[in-house]
Amino acid sequence: MPEPDRSSGEIFSVENLTVTFKTGTGDVYAVRGIDFSLASHEVLGIVGESGSGKSVTAMATMGLLPRNAVITGSVRYEGRSILGLSEKELAPIRGAQIAMIFQDPMTSLNPVYTVGWQIAEAIRAHQDVSKEEATKKAVALLQTVGIPNAEARVSDYPHEFSGGMRQRVVIAIAMANDPTIILADEPTTALDVTVQAQVLSSLRTALEQTGAALLLITHDLGVIAGFADRVLVMYAGRPVEVGTAEDVFYRPAMPYTHGLLGSLPRLDSDERQPLRQIPGAPPSMTAEPVGCPFAPRCPLRADICETEEPPLRPVGLSGNGAGEAVGAASGHVAACHFADQVVGMPVASMFPATSVDQEEVAS
Amino acid sequence: MSLPPAATGPVVTQGDGLARAAMPDGRAPGPDADEALLHVTDLVKHYPKRGGSFIRRQVGVIHAVCGVSFDIKKGETLGLVGESGCGKTTTGRAILQLIVPTSGSVRFDGREIIGLPNRETRLMRRDMQVVFQDPFSSLDPRMPVGESIAEPLHIHGMWDRRSGRQKVGEVLTLVGLEPRHAGRFPNEFSGGQRQRIGIARALVLEPKLLVLDEPVSALDVSIQAGVVNLLDDLQQRLGVAYLFIAHDLSVVRHISDRVAVMYLGRIVEIGARDSVYHRPEHPYPQALLSAVPIPDPRKERSRKPIVLEGDVPSPENPPSGCRFRTRCWKAQEICAQETPALVDRGGGHPVACHFAEPAQVV
Repeated sequence: MPEPDRSSGEIFSVENLTVTFKTGTGDVYAVRGIDFSLASHEVLGIVGESGSGKSVTAMATMGLLPRNAVITGSVRYEGRSILGLSEKELAPIRGAQIAMIFQDPMTSLNPVYTVGWQIAEAIRAHQDVSKEEATKKAVALLQTVGIPNAEARVSDYPHEFSGGMRQRVVIAIAMANDPTIILADEPTTALDVTVQAQVLSSLRTALEQTGAALLLITHDLGVIAGFADRVLVMYAGRPVEVGTAEDVFYRPAMPYTHGLLGSLPRLDSDERQPLRQIPGAPPSMTAEPVGCPFAPRCPLRADICETEEPPLRPVGLSGNGAGEAVGAASGHVAACHFADQVVGMPVASMFPATSVDQEEVAS
Repeated sequence: MSLPPAATGPVVTQGDGLARAAMPDGRAPGPDADEALLHVTDLVKHYPKRGGSFIRRQVGVIHAVCGVSFDIKKGETLGLVGESGCGKTTTGRAILQLIVPTSGSVRFDGREIIGLPNRETRLMRRDMQVVFQDPFSSLDPRMPVGESIAEPLHIHGMWDRRSGRQKVGEVLTLVGLEPRHAGRFPNEFSGGQRQRIGIARALVLEPKLLVLDEPVSALDVSIQAGVVNLLDDLQQRLGVAYLFIAHDLSVVRHISDRVAVMYLGRIVEIGARDSVYHRPEHPYPQALLSAVPIPDPRKERSRKPIVLEGDVPSPENPPSGCRFRTRCWKAQEICAQETPALVDRGGGHPVACHFAEPAQVV
């Protein structure tokens, strides 16, 4: 992993985190070693498809996984290890200094209390203020996140709000204690696009007003493109590429990232080119992969890929182009034996634009 | 059913085997070759809203679809987009006669299909098939997929022991799977593959129109790409028309020839794909398009989404006049009094706004 700029203040770091679920039918290797860090005010986007381990990573760092999850590695917040802390020890950090937003707002809201009560409760749990003051602040927060008619709506219950409005209430709660980090796991995934725009605009306001750093987990590369300073791409429980948004979107060095970008239909393109399809499907995580987990789907697969899982390595050290040198300087890393060849390779030469099914049928 | 000679060959290489020209079972082509394949006029669907828990008397009306009109030509794709609750799915189901519309007309292949006797509705359905969003609930888990695909042939009395099996193999090949998969069960397939099986089942009767209701929204992007390519490919080979109902504007742009945007039960803008995406004139499609994130950091950061105020009003009590006016930054007196007609206001395609004005938002 690249060293983040310490002068800007690294506030959160994860080292060699692994999560294994013990199940009745065997172990599931959900996260197989992930390192990342977050500087203050930074936005780090984690992308990946279903089952890549991005949400499990977030839940593990916050101590929110069920008991059958075995977690190893280290998670540090402002230099202090927070992995394995008791609920009581975590309480002053979780929810206050690290605020969380999940896909379904009803996982964060209690249906039997008014939203005003819940925001005030969040404030009073961490700050010594009167009920009246807390309620006043709740109204102000609802206004900040763009809830129309906040004075009246503060005494409504969650079910009286639409899905998008509820998510904005959750953002208001997240803002309540001036967090240093907001962790958002698929915050807009189930929402309509104009509602998503409302929620993202509230999230932006929250970042501006609190100055918090954001860990944004989503499968939506468009949302990542608009928000993230740095991007971490996950595949099969590990990061396979990390870099600035520009590095990852314009100079992808891992064939998986390449294929993912090529498979997206584009709103800004008139071309009716067939979409690129990554053959096959992600591996089942019930066995630790031998070699590169992307190898079975990779067009550049070679013998070494079958036997040796590539670590994250700086991109462009052996390169010759100016752009690649820039990539190395900005901390662009990729887990591919052929990363330097992948940079600049046209996606058309790597992935088929086919309509034939590319997955294997289970037997 | 006797297959035309061409269709007995491998369909992959002889795509014309399933072409429209030869109608093996005697279905006549439409009487008027110039008329659109599907012609929807003033389609309305109101649902009664019932209150209480015991007496269930009607307490209101949900205005789900209110006067929707459009055409689909042979072999063309119309993308029907809009957000949750805008009535796009209800429109699709009313066209399929899966629900009975309150009023309006649906002409398919030159014939009014609303109010047809059941027998004839069934006959008509051969030509109009549907693919649903959820590939996990639309297949019987205890039936081999080959039988699921053959089911429409049985229902329509077109099953022939010898050619039937072959036909199933052909459509499986057509959707990018293999004939040998016919004996497998749904649980052996991934989501993308099940959606392919759903498409195969819809195609086995060689329909002229496929209503696709959110066919790729449950799939991960890398899998979605293959199914989108398949739909493109099938249309080119078979000349089947699509009504493509979706909320994802990027997918709709990729696949459609023409696009209709719905808001609260009405079409607010309709036209050729590029015309609507390049020069949307109604404020709602403008807001909608401006809000879709583009996976390109420099481009995305230079855009400014139009963020709408508030929520979509309830379809139980829609605003008078223009239904978008409660959230519109251009709204004036007239918008509350007069429903804007869906007509070309000089921008090249029909738009339902008193203050229509093209803007580039993508």
